[in-house]
Amino acid sequence: MPVEPEFVVPMMEAIRRWSGVSVPNAAARHGLADFAGLMEELAALRGTMVFEDEPSSFEAALRECREPGQ
Amino acid sequence: MNAPVSSDLAELSMTEAADAFAAGDIKAEAMVRACLARIDAHDAKVNSVIRLDREAALAAAAAQDKARAGGTALGPLAGAPMMHKDMYYRAGKVSTCGSRIRKDFVPQVTATVLERLDAAGAIDMGTLNMAEFAQNPTGHNAHFGHCHNPWDLAYCTGGSSSGSGAGVAARFFTAALGSDTGGSIRLPATICGVTGLKATQTRVSRHGVMPLSFSCDNVGPLVRTARDAARFLKVTAGQDPKDPTSAPEDVPDYEAALTGDIKGLRIAVCESYFFDGADAPVVAAFEDALKVLADRGASITRVKAPSMQAVAAYVSLVSRTESPAIHANWMREYPGDYAIHLSSRIYGGFAIPGHLYIEALSRRGPLLKQFVAEALTGFDIVATPTLRTRVPTLAETDIDADPANWSRFMAVSANTRPFNYLGLPTLSVPCGFDDRGLPVGLQLAARPFAEATVLRAGDAFQRVTDWHRKSPVL
Repeated sequence: MPVEPEFVVPMMEAIRRWSGVSVPNAAARHGLADFAGLMEELAALRGTMVFEDEPSSFEAALRECREPGQ
Repeated sequence: MNAPVSSDLAELSMTEAADAFAAGDIKAEAMVRACLARIDAHDAKVNSVIRLDREAALAAAAAQDKARAGGTALGPLAGAPMMHKDMYYRAGKVSTCGSRIRKDFVPQVTATVLERLDAAGAIDMGTLNMAEFAQNPTGHNAHFGHCHNPWDLAYCTGGSSSGSGAGVAARFFTAALGSDTGGSIRLPATICGVTGLKATQTRVSRHGVMPLSFSCDNVGPLVRTARDAARFLKVTAGQDPKDPTSAPEDVPDYEAALTGDIKGLRIAVCESYFFDGADAPVVAAFEDALKVLADRGASITRVKAPSMQAVAAYVSLVSRTESPAIHANWMREYPGDYAIHLSSRIYGGFAIPGHLYIEALSRRGPLLKQFVAEALTGFDIVATPTLRTRVPTLAETDIDADPANWSRFMAVSANTRPFNYLGLPTLSVPCGFDDRGLPVGLQLAARPFAEATVLRAGDAFQRVTDWHRKSPVL
């Protein structure tokens, strides 16, 4: 049985305090532990966001990236 | 294109059935009866249907036969029986969303996409099994029973549009709506051996459709052929005043683009990411498909995949953060009414910091531009396997039975979900079988609003292959 990462219990407490949701089952706890990989991936992306980036740039990019002549 | 003569009407594809009906070669009622006979004979094993509106479908078909006999012009989908994932609202009819929580939910509105299909003459026979609240990639459902793969009942169907994929493959109906937030159209399409289309983000209205992740949700068809998908999209796409996010771009005649000619079509194959951990039989079928496309005049070029780690990380953040916002009240009040795999998935999303969610949305435009610059500049299409591994069994991906199956469960959508974040149109067509006899799919992605390009390639492929014609023995 793998050791549960130390962030899991405080994360559960934060969810309870912020959202009023309790851990529903063992699989949910396993899912939180599984975040370790995603956290590493996100840490590797730090610094890539530019100050002016914002969500509406996506719709603009969809139009900008159409096939030439479309 | 003339419809082939078939002794079993249920073998007709959506466009074949509609064209045969328009030509007076078949009756709509006979077509519906052929589909109902298939359902009656085999759905006890497959479990794709939630609600069968038998009498209403027969009445609608009889009305179409009478109208056609009287010379009334009918729409381009008249004569084609369909069923849809049980998350498309029809006013006054229960829409369970595959859940216990909404088992009695009766919406007050009808989805725009259903209204457009109705107007085009599609015959609606009822609703289909699906992953609970469209939130798993395998087709497990603890409330309505798991949907089973018609090619081998021990295997998963893919999800979340499980009944849509299984039912089209089993010849229960000619077409079905699915929805795709991380691969939920393309995965059941590839795993069940049918054709599935996720259009450009915003291309099809989502009004009256159960939400999962409003940034990544897409509406689209599971059908037999690329031609079916082309006609289906023509009918359903286009701006909708009821969905302010729907795109205002004109809707072209996608079927007119299906010339069979792909000479000069430039296809890029991204060598990294999409093949990480891929199974050899899947890669072999994919490579054979590329040879078919090359033989028809397309060029195939191997390129390095750009920025997929960023895309893969951010897409997980977006859908997993938006879903808890929608489900928060039920997670507080009825957590035990969700399947274990779903409540556990939603629960994790409550832990994701808001600033990372905003970062994921803010990086979406720049990463789309970067992907197009690096993978689609000088190319028309990016090709990948739709599912990079063999099809897993239902047992191998059952988190409710064992949380250790979590990673295998999450890996199923690795090749599909990046295209939800990028918003690109993506088609999956059947391209072979693995060494266990389960289907393999070819995924084709193109620039935004270039659905015609992937449909043209898929149609050209299907003109010289018969993977999409093969039907499972039930």
